[in-house]
Amino acid sequence: MLQRMVKVQVIGPAKDLHRIVDTLYTAGTIHLEDYSKEISVGDAILNKIEVGESDTLSGLISKIEGIQLIFPKTPSDTGKQKELMQSLRAEGHEAILNRASDALSNLEVKTKTLITRKSDLEFTIANLTRYQGVIEKILPIESQIPALERFEITIILIEREFEHALPVIRDALMDITNNQCELISAAVDEKSIATVAIFSRKYSEQVHSFIYTQNVNELRLPAQYMGRPLAEVLRLNAEKKKEAMLEARSIDEELTEISSAWHDELTVLRQLLADRFEELKEYNKFARTDYTFIVLGWIPKKYLPRTRELLQKEYGEAVIINELLETPDSMDEAPTFYDSHEFIKPFEYLVRLITSPKYNEVDPAPLLAIFFPIFFGLIVGDIGYGLVILSFALIMKKKFPEIDWLKPLMNLMIIAAFPTIIFGYIFGEFFGDFGEQMGWLHPMEIMGVTWHRIDAMVPMLVLAIAIGFFHVLLGLFIGIVNQRTKMQCTKYLCECRKHICEKVGMIVVIISILILLGAATQILPGVVLYPGILMMVIALALIIYGGGFIASLEVISMVGNILSYARIMAIGTASVILALVANELGGTMEVALVGVLVASIIHLLNIGLKMFIGSLHSFRLHIVEFSPKFMEGGGKIYKPFGRRDQR
Amino acid sequence: MERRIYAGNRRYMQVVDMDWFIPIGAAIAFGLGALGAGIAMARIGSAGAGTVAERPETFGYMLIFLAIPETIAILGFVIAAMILVMI
Repeated sequence: MLQRMVKVQVIGPAKDLHRIVDTLYTAGTIHLEDYSKEISVGDAILNKIEVGESDTLSGLISKIEGIQLIFPKTPSDTGKQKELMQSLRAEGHEAILNRASDALSNLEVKTKTLITRKSDLEFTIANLTRYQGVIEKILPIESQIPALERFEITIILIEREFEHALPVIRDALMDITNNQCELISAAVDEKSIATVAIFSRKYSEQVHSFIYTQNVNELRLPAQYMGRPLAEVLRLNAEKKKEAMLEARSIDEELTEISSAWHDELTVLRQLLADRFEELKEYNKFARTDYTFIVLGWIPKKYLPRTRELLQKEYGEAVIINELLETPDSMDEAPTFYDSHEFIKPFEYLVRLITSPKYNEVDPAPLLAIFFPIFFGLIVGDIGYGLVILSFALIMKKKFPEIDWLKPLMNLMIIAAFPTIIFGYIFGEFFGDFGEQMGWLHPMEIMGVTWHRIDAMVPMLVLAIAIGFFHVLLGLFIGIVNQRTKMQCTKYLCECRKHICEKVGMIVVIISILILLGAATQILPGVVLYPGILMMVIALALIIYGGGFIASLEVISMVGNILSYARIMAIGTASVILALVANELGGTMEVALVGVLVASIIHLLNIGLKMFIGSLHSFRLHIVEFSPKFMEGGGKIYKPFGRRDQR
Repeated sequence: MERRIYAGNRRYMQVVDMDWFIPIGAAIAFGLGALGAGIAMARIGSAGAGTVAERPETFGYMLIFLAIPETIAILGFVIAAMILVMI
């Protein structure tokens, strides 16, 4: 339900600015407006407020985040965190800043040293692993490498796709070394080849320089490996790798130890500092004189006494909340705050996915809460499917309570499952025609029609379009109400009058089309034909007056909107047919168990499909066909100035 | 040509005489509608995917935009069903 908002000015002594703003932040009720916009350049009385603490805070937050990023994952002790948060909040911002600085001076150097050493070790391990792989591959060709003094060995790694470059390198090395060079190759893996180059030491500089300039990947073994047999190099390499891994593990253990000691405190400090940072960010919206400060904002009427009481208790008469005069023009800028019933909240979530209504507009969420389940029920309309959807939504809600977006969607499915079951009973469907075949239920006969969705395809179509007529007309009526409210704002007066004329014209057109159709099909007496035509002419005149000639073309789109509701019948029919296919196919299997399995799989597929398509199309009918008739959207959502966990 | 129609519990697949052009007409009504919707959805879908990648907050709008051309296919289905049932 839409909450009434009050525009307020909070005025207090400048010397207590931080404390008072802190109280407002703790209260978490005021939606701030930017008062600094009203300060003109060179204003002698009002000034903006600059806060230097923000830079310190953002520095501390980044450092804490950096340290926490280094730490291994540590489980949080929520009880301890809660306790710590309460005690730190009670101590005040100065104490929080000091504590954060102390924690950082304790941890910063230690963690930096550890992580630098760990990075070095990781680099070493990666290199040693690489040497090991290559040496293992060239070990079998060691016997081919001549053990000559004054000769040097280097290993070149070449990707297989550049294998053709090897002869070129060989020729170049031969030229450089005056034919005192030998190249032996062995495959390292699927992608690369290791080539051992043996050459006279006196050409060492030229050879390495050539390899470097040609951008060839040279594997340079550490100096202590030089001149040793490859088997010994391999052993040394393995030993070094083991040592490095042990050291890396001990660093990890040390980090885990530090993390478990500091994780909760750092998390709490980061949150408190972030809260303070958020609070300070809003200071540039305030204005001050030499002795006072002014905060401008909106408070929901029901929270106003609470906020007033809180300030009164803390600061007595020193701080006043000044209620500004409520005018249609000022209320046009009010933020929208819907404090809806739990039942409506999931629908509110859906509406907000697209846009938010303005303060003066009728909230579409309760209307969505009425029509969405009905449309969904008419589309899916099956007792079995309804029960499966209900169970699925309940399980998902219980299994994944931490996923924010899942909860409203599953609540939506829970609500929509009930009309699905009810319409399933009316249509006589339990997993398609399974219930009917078993003799458990039959389609109901209402108004002379047996509501079997395949037999009664035409009545279903008529029903869907009738719902469309009603829904679109309702949208237009609400549109008139919205325009009448908006009209109170003088700047919109003329525009709103025209909109009202256009909407009335649209309603009359729809009714006149109904009358003319009734007269043409002889459902209504022929005498109503002329009043129908007259109504149509008047309606078109109203539409053209309201929205110009182009608006008269909207009549066609309006008819299209109404016909669009035929999707309720069409998607519903597709759902039934797929359910029948499942039962038929399952029935043709010779082994009963296989038949049940086949039918179950197709039914599950159908349920999944219908959950998605049913929701999407029910929502779409609201967003495309219904809401634009009355909602402009683009409203400013009420965002109270307060801690995130309080919002 | 024969028409098979569903007629309630354990009575379905009754066979009724039908002119050959009736199912052809129904197929054209639904087929062309579905083809048109498919072409439109392909274009909207690819543009929508790009938009959502740039601005994830437009996901809701994109989902709706994607469902808009389905109307053509659905109306095609309705016409096809009416051709089969009513003619």
